[in-house]
Amino acid sequence: MPPYISIGGYSDPPRIPCLSLETGSGELVALVGGPGSGKSNLIKSIAGIRSASRGSIRIMGAKPGSMRSREEALFVFQNSNFIPDLSVISQIERRISLYRGVPVRNVHKDVTGWCEEMELIEAARMLPKQMNRSQLQMLSLAPLALTSHSVAILDEPLVNLSPLMTSSALSIVFSLLDNRASVLALVQSKSPLAKKADRTVNIQ
Amino acid sequence: MKGRNTYYFRESISILLRTKWVGPYLLVPPMLAFMVYAESYLSAHGVTGIFNLEQRTILAIWNGSLLLALIAGIKSCMFLSGIWESGWFRNSLALPVKRSSGFWGPYLAVLSVVTGVFVLTIGAVAAAIPDPGRFPLLKVVVESYIPVLWAVSIGAFLGVLTKGTAGSIFFSALLLLGFLTGLPVARLPEWLYTVIPPVGRLMTLGLNYPEGLTFTMTLIIHSAVVLLLGRILYGIGAKRK
Repeated sequence: MPPYISIGGYSDPPRIPCLSLETGSGELVALVGGPGSGKSNLIKSIAGIRSASRGSIRIMGAKPGSMRSREEALFVFQNSNFIPDLSVISQIERRISLYRGVPVRNVHKDVTGWCEEMELIEAARMLPKQMNRSQLQMLSLAPLALTSHSVAILDEPLVNLSPLMTSSALSIVFSLLDNRASVLALVQSKSPLAKKADRTVNIQ
Repeated sequence: MKGRNTYYFRESISILLRTKWVGPYLLVPPMLAFMVYAESYLSAHGVTGIFNLEQRTILAIWNGSLLLALIAGIKSCMFLSGIWESGWFRNSLALPVKRSSGFWGPYLAVLSVVTGVFVLTIGAVAAAIPDPGRFPLLKVVVESYIPVLWAVSIGAFLGVLTKGTAGSIFFSALLLLGFLTGLPVARLPEWLYTVIPPVGRLMTLGLNYPEGLTFTMTLIIHSAVVLLLGRILYGIGAKRK
């Protein structure tokens, strides 16, 4: 069985000179770095939407950007997770239906239920620009809660959240770990995820 | 996996059906009505000569087509370049969807909406004709659709190549040049018609054989080539990001 996430000799000069790490089943690894340390570039390289300047990256043995790696891994970016012109709930439904491989009508109940549970149902019916950052950030975690993936890669997932939402978001992450998923969180040192991680890797 | 090929198409259709994007197409019916009225007024006052019903119908259909091509080209440049340079589109490439559908989905969505508007506009003109059996209505309709198809295709190419505003200006200039080729006074070397779309020539000579067929094929090939170039540039852009 290959490592869930494998990064070997990745560099993004001058911010990240050399980075190597592997993650395994049920493991939470926090990659800690300050603002501008190259975390967002790294997640884009892992997602295969930016070419890595040096080094190799694999997700469940598959190259970044390959269909297999995108099926296995779920990415939550720090910004721009939603289309500005459409209601957030419709976008979440379409993404969940895509991940589950079922029609949108089959996921409507689950998505609505989750949004109600998070007390975000009213906000979710709005456009992204009509919501505050905290609501938007929490709703971007919906695919984590409503789908099952082997790997989750999260860029600053808790940064804008209120204390109550932080606690809900942490529960979502821990339930992933209970399901033997591997989570790589790209965070700043103050993040609760850095404190609760099984392993911490500093990139700066 | 369900929806893997249609994700971008569906999202693009949802965006395009918002007022901001559909609104400009609502300009077509009043502008068409104004042009038909102005032409009949000028004709009645001896400025442009007397048009018979057939000529007036063909003119109305072509007016509708060219108006729609102008709006469709500008809007497709703006819409497609906006999508392809947006942060959400880039991040959505991490979803388990076919990446090539990121090009074809938005393009086909624009083409579908524009085709819908074309059918409604031309359908309204055709419905007003007392006796459509008197001239080759279908041929005129098919020929007048080709500039609309071309406009959306070049809009996609320019949408990949540059920003929406710059693309729209370039498109408008190219369409104007295309119109001018149809004027009897236009005398250009034949090879130039491989670069300039023969929109005007198709309008004025479209019903003649073989010119009509030649210009239809030229415009279709022109559309296919720019679309292919757009797809290649999209692929290069996606890899270099």
